[in-house]
Order: sequence, then C-alpha cells, then structure tokens
Amino acid sequence: MRRMLDRRQFLKTSIMSAMWLTAGGAGPGLPKKLIAAGYPDIAIAVGKPEQATGAALDVLGGMQRFVKPGDKVLIKPNMSFPGGVLSATTTNPEVVREVVTMCKRSGASSIRVLDHPLRRDELCIEGVREACRIFNDDMVHGLYKKDFFKAVSIPDAEQLKETRVMRDYLDSDVLIAVPVAKTHGSTGVSLSMKGMMGLVLNRSVMHWKYDLSTSIVDLCTLLKPALVIIDASRVLSTNGPGGPGKVLDMNTIIASTDMVAADAQAVRMFEWYGRRMQPRQVKHIELAHQRGLGRMDIENLMVKRVQV
Amino acid sequence: MAVQRIVQIASLCLFLVLLFLAAFPLVSPIAVDLFLRLDPLVFLATWLCARSIIPDLMVAALLLVFTLILGRFFCAWLCPMGITIDVADRLIGKKVNPEKQFSRALSNFKYLFLAFILGAAAGGISLVFLGSPLSLITRFYGLLVFPVLSLLASLGLNVTRPLAEAFDVPALAYAEINIPRYALQWFTVLLFTAIFACAVLSPRFWCRYLCPAGALFAVFSRRPFLRRQVNRACTRCGACQPACPMGAIPENPFQTEHSECIVCQKCVHVCPAGAISFTFSSAGTVSESVFSGQRRALIWSGLAGVGAAIVSLTSLKTIPLAQSSGYLIDPVVIRPPGALPEMEFLARCIRCGECMKACPTNTLQPLGLKAGLAGFFSPVITPRRGPCEPLCNVCTQVCPTDAIRSLTPDEKIWAKVGTAYIIKHKCLAWEYDQECLICDEVCPTNAIELKRIDNINVAVPFVEERKCSGCGFCEFQCPVQAGSAIVVEPMHAVRLASGSYRKKGREMGLLLEIQAREKQETPSAPALGPGQKFNALPPGFTE
Repeated sequence: MRRMLDRRQFLKTSIMSAMWLTAGGAGPGLPKKLIAAGYPDIAIAVGKPEQATGAALDVLGGMQRFVKPGDKVLIKPNMSFPGGVLSATTTNPEVVREVVTMCKRSGASSIRVLDHPLRRDELCIEGVREACRIFNDDMVHGLYKKDFFKAVSIPDAEQLKETRVMRDYLDSDVLIAVPVAKTHGSTGVSLSMKGMMGLVLNRSVMHWKYDLSTSIVDLCTLLKPALVIIDASRVLSTNGPGGPGKVLDMNTIIASTDMVAADAQAVRMFEWYGRRMQPRQVKHIELAHQRGLGRMDIENLMVKRVQV
Repeated sequence: MAVQRIVQIASLCLFLVLLFLAAFPLVSPIAVDLFLRLDPLVFLATWLCARSIIPDLMVAALLLVFTLILGRFFCAWLCPMGITIDVADRLIGKKVNPEKQFSRALSNFKYLFLAFILGAAAGGISLVFLGSPLSLITRFYGLLVFPVLSLLASLGLNVTRPLAEAFDVPALAYAEINIPRYALQWFTVLLFTAIFACAVLSPRFWCRYLCPAGALFAVFSRRPFLRRQVNRACTRCGACQPACPMGAIPENPFQTEHSECIVCQKCVHVCPAGAISFTFSSAGTVSESVFSGQRRALIWSGLAGVGAAIVSLTSLKTIPLAQSSGYLIDPVVIRPPGALPEMEFLARCIRCGECMKACPTNTLQPLGLKAGLAGFFSPVITPRRGPCEPLCNVCTQVCPTDAIRSLTPDEKIWAKVGTAYIIKHKCLAWEYDQECLICDEVCPTNAIELKRIDNINVAVPFVEERKCSGCGFCEFQCPVQAGSAIVVEPMHAVRLASGSYRKKGREMGLLLEIQAREKQETPSAPALGPGQKFNALPPGFTE
C-alpha cells in the first residue's frame, strides 16, 4: 500500500511539474484547459440531476477529457430493478441521458447503455430506454444470453481468475460507470465497483464459490471505468439493493476517475441505516484500496464541490 | 384454391397468432383464448364438472346452434386441429384410401369417448384434456412447436448477429429470444405421433373415429339445413366416395351421413358431372344415423366415466378440503396466482397449456402425477425454473375456463401462492458464513430480513411470512447448487373462489403491497430480532 501511494504521488508530482514547465515555456499560447490541468480527484455537484451531472463533469475537465472523437463508449448504469425513479434502486434516467448527451458532444462514434438486469429487461430498462429515445439510436439494452458475453481471464485476480464479460465492453474504448447510490444487504453498499457485476454473465459463482468482496475487487482489476458518475440524486439508505427502503433526497452527483474514491466518497457522505459509516467498513472498498485499485482515503484527496 | 381451404388456413393463422400473443405483456385486440372457447366439449364438460355455466364459453353453445343449421362445418373450416391433421394426412397419408376397412363401429367410438368424458365430468373429474381437440392442439403448438421454433429462431439470431453488428442494427444485434422449456414433452409428443400416424389408416382418423368434440357436433348435425344434395346428373362414377375425408358418403352416392359430413365440399369439386351441391333444403336422402340401436354401449361408457371419477376421488392425492388434516399436499404443487380452490380448479382446468405458453418466466409447468391422476398436466409454479413475476398477471387473463381467476395487477399481488422457507444447513450465510444474500437482493416484496446473530460473521436471512407472496425469486436466484437453500411451498397459499384477494389478504394481516411506488419512511434503526446483537451494524458493513 505504501509503495503504491508513493508511486502515485511520484507520478502526480512529475506530471504536474512537467506541465508547469511546459506552461512556463509556452506561456499564454497554450489552450486554457491545459493550463488549468490538475483536476480535482473527486467532483461533487449538488442540484437538479441533469445540471448537477454536467457541473460535476465540468469540474473534472468536461467529457472531452474522457471521450475522444470516434470513441466507442459503453455506459453502465444500474438498470437491474423495476422500481422506477422514486424507489432509488436504479440510476436516474435523466442522469444517464445527460451522460449520453455529453458523450455525443464529445464525438463518440457509438454509445451503448447496457446492463445485465435481475428482472425481465422490459420491466427494468424501460425508464432509461424512454429517456434515451430522443437520441433515436436504440442504444439501451438488457443482456442475458451467453452469446453476449465472452470468457476472459483476470490476471490480477485472487479468486475470480476468469469470467465472461460483455463483448461490448471488450469492443469499447471508454467505460463509464453510472451507478445509483444504495445500500446492499451483503456488500454494504452497491456503487460503481459492485455495479461492475452487471457486465458479467455468471454472478452467482461470485457468491457461492468465492468471497464476494474479494471477487468484486478481482473483477474491478479488469473492468476499470475511465469515469465514474454516481447518481445520488436519491439515495436508497436502507433495504437495498431491491428496496423498498428509506430514500434520501440528496440531489447530488459524485464524479471521479477513481472508482474506489468515488465509492468511498459516497459511503462517507450519506447516512446508511441511520448511521454514518467509514469507507473502510465496506469490505470491497477496503480491499480495493489495499490492492492499489484506487484510494479510499478521500480526506487526502482533492475534492471540489459545486452547487448549481 | 377452394374457399374452404382459404378459410381453414386463415383460421389456423388466427389461432397461431392468438397463441403467439398469449404472452407478457398481453397485447391482443381479441381474447387470445378465443379458439379454446369455441370447443363445445370444453363448454359442456366444464359446465358439468364445475357445476356452473362459464359465461366465456357460451360462444361454444352458439356454435352448436350454428351446427344445427350448417352441419359440422367447424371441423373442416375452423378447427386448427383439423387442418393440422389435414397437413399430416397429406405428408404421410397413403395414396390408396382404405377407409372401407373400418367399420361403422369404430366411428361410434367417438360417441363412447364423449360419453366417458361427460360421465367423468358429472362425477366431478375433468378429463377434457384427453379429448378436447382445442386443448390438444393448443398444447401441441404452444408447448411443443413454439419452444422448438424459439430455439431455431435463437440459433438464427446467432447467425444474423454479426451481420446486424456490421450494419449497425442494434435491435437485431441485441435481440434475445427466451427458449421456453416444458416438462412432460413426451406426453404431447407420443399423443401427437399417434394421432398423426393414423394418417396411414385413413384421412382425418382422429376426426372420424376419436374426436369427442366431433361427436358432439355430429349429434347436432344429424339433420342440418345446409346439406349435400346430389341431382340426377350423377353417373354413380364413385369419384366422390374416396375423395370424402370423412367417409361420409355411403355406397349410394345420393345419400350422405350428415353427422359425419364436415361440409368441406371436396365431393363438389371432384364430381365430374357437377351433380353435387350444398344447399339449404330439407329434401335429399338422409342415411340413417349410425349410432341408433347402441344406446347400451353409450350408457356403459358414461357410467365408466362416472366410475373413473369416483375411483379418482378416492385417490390418496385428492384434497377435498385444503385446510383439514390427513390430506397430502405435495410441496411442489404451487398453483398459479388466482387459481380457484384445488377441487374447483381441477374441475375447470382443461390442461390446454395456454397459461404455460403465456407465462413470461416459464415458471408454469405441467404437473405429472404429484396431484394424482386428476391433476395430471395441470399448471404449477416451478420457482427453480423461473419466478412468478409480480408485475405480470397474464396467466389470470388467458385461462379460458377461469380455473385461474382473472385478476387485475393490483389484485394479483395479493394472490399469495405459497411461502418461502430457508434450509439453513445449505444456506451460504447460515452455514458457510459467506456474504451472499441474493435472496434479499431479489425479493420483490422485501420479505427477507437480514439479521445479525451471535457466532455468524455475516447478516443472515429470515423470511417474514406476511410479506412473502411465494413468487419464488429467492428460490430461482439462490446460488446454492442443485437444490436451492430457500424453497417455496404452497404453505399458506390464498385460494379464493370469489371475492377480493386484497381484502382477504389484509384481513389475514399480509403485507404484500409493492411499496416501492411511493417514497415511504421506514424506521432508521431496524427492529432487533431474537439473538440479534444490540447496536447492530447495517447489513453488509464491517466494524
């Protein structure tokens, strides 16, 4: 863990110094974006879901930082339950639509919004599909069949050494995780890391054969989103992941390039079962931090808050 | 092509389209069970068996009235079983027509079969499924042909998928087809192999000799208004006799056995002299009805049916009263939501398989002998195969005999089909200290409560009986191999012959409202159960 932090710190410092050197050399001739580089680690925007999503991305340098013209983008919201927006069991369709809009503006060549729902897909994905109908692109799908998943090995895994992941993930250039913020009976919370289970075919093996938290981290060594946008417009504070439970109106969007940090931020920010929890109390977050996937020590990270 | 053939094909197409539309979500401008309602055997036998007239089936009575006028036209013009047999006859039937080998006695068999089924119905046991052509053909297409076509279509999609991806047609690229799988395939396969194989004996063997619904039509078409007429131009060439698929033309071609004639008008088309026509007239020679003089056999058949029913009622598996002790209810007999109390349910269920075809999760399966012979092929929920989707009420909408009551989605939620229980020594959380709790994750009614108890490091599941609808999501998704560690039984199933499930459920103290629709406040700290640690951590978190 120490070594990892040192390396990260080292990289960060070197990049920053390189940038300052370049900036110093090139002076005001450089584009504004580059001068302003050194984005915060975590962006928190409070406001209406759509505006807050845009604002959080602006803090991180805009979608064009992550999606280059011609990129194939895979967006992974949580579309696993039929509860609807108020239940807070699935990602707010408005947030997903805003993410798609930003990807389009950045010149993505193809955008897919996919999940492997728990219930029948016409019940689960309809909200997001309806919201994305404006793009007229038939991009929202729920996939169940083996044919849509391809067996891959996970070299850095401790337990889940191989699994079948969505072929669309393998074909994509950019993965964007857009989970909803909610509790989970067996993993404490279900956020971006737990949400990666929506890209694999056989999830039950992660429950019965392996340690669930360890295998989630294993999976996240493979499936690393370039960007995490946590929809905390509503937070399911109890009885997750299926609800019905206590729903908190938080009007918040959390964005980060570090899935562990984003999840840790969400754990720390909200009330879970009426209590305040620490990121280390979520086993898969703690394990991910220890294995160097990202940082849960958000008190040491640069967090920027905006209100819209 | 003859008008009859066109109508027949159109009828089959309509039947198949309606059967295809018997699915979730239910989108059909007309009742998907229309054809099943046309079967007069279903109407009559279910009336007898259930001791009440089912309004939806009255259309079959109307059909019998039409039969008085038009003869047995249904068999040649509308019956999807009839055209299917016609196709089989064409494919495997012999060129030479040996129908004369079969005596009149054999064509009497269908009347005996009818009497047997009606006798059993009078005795309170429904054997309609053995003989009703519409029940049979619905099973054939719905439970045998449809799964096969689904499999082929699914394989086809695998072939077209690369193309769809290349040409960027996401609707096709991401299309998935669920392949339904049904128990007891052999029963349908054997039955239809036998029925189709009879083509080598005679055309329309089933319709001539076996079909009890045909027998019922025959009774009503002994002197129809629309009849085959032969005029003097007839040269007695004998072309019409072998052409008749029903063997309804006796040696004397001027005569017709109207009870056998299905008005297909083949004889009209083959007659070289153009001597045959079907016209409204009471004239024309009528051959004597075949069945006269054999009333004794008919009565014996009816009594045999009653006897079979009585024997069946003494079966160990017969459950006259669901709540009393001493009756064996097999734990797998989980009936669909809205199924009438068991005896009434079985009296009405014609085993057509429409509910099984329509079920989106394939959980409805035909039962073997777990509910006795009287319950053979009746539908049961099979949670390990699929859960009963709470937002779906399709099976309650497609049942032609209302053996499954028609329920609105709001009522359906309250139609509790059973209760789940946890087999702790198989459960990953209880026995192996593993974070699993998929049952909690998937339970749509929030009936799984996670509690922390001493000596177990993870929260463990409990079933809150009042919130459990028996839908089986937990049993379906339980990752434990082979037998699930959480199992639904028909324990505490609510079976109402009439009245509101919601009202009854509330009276019983059930909590089955799907609460997710509106925001609701639950107490921040969940109530503590026995053995639970004080100040418990929220489930899934660690200290």
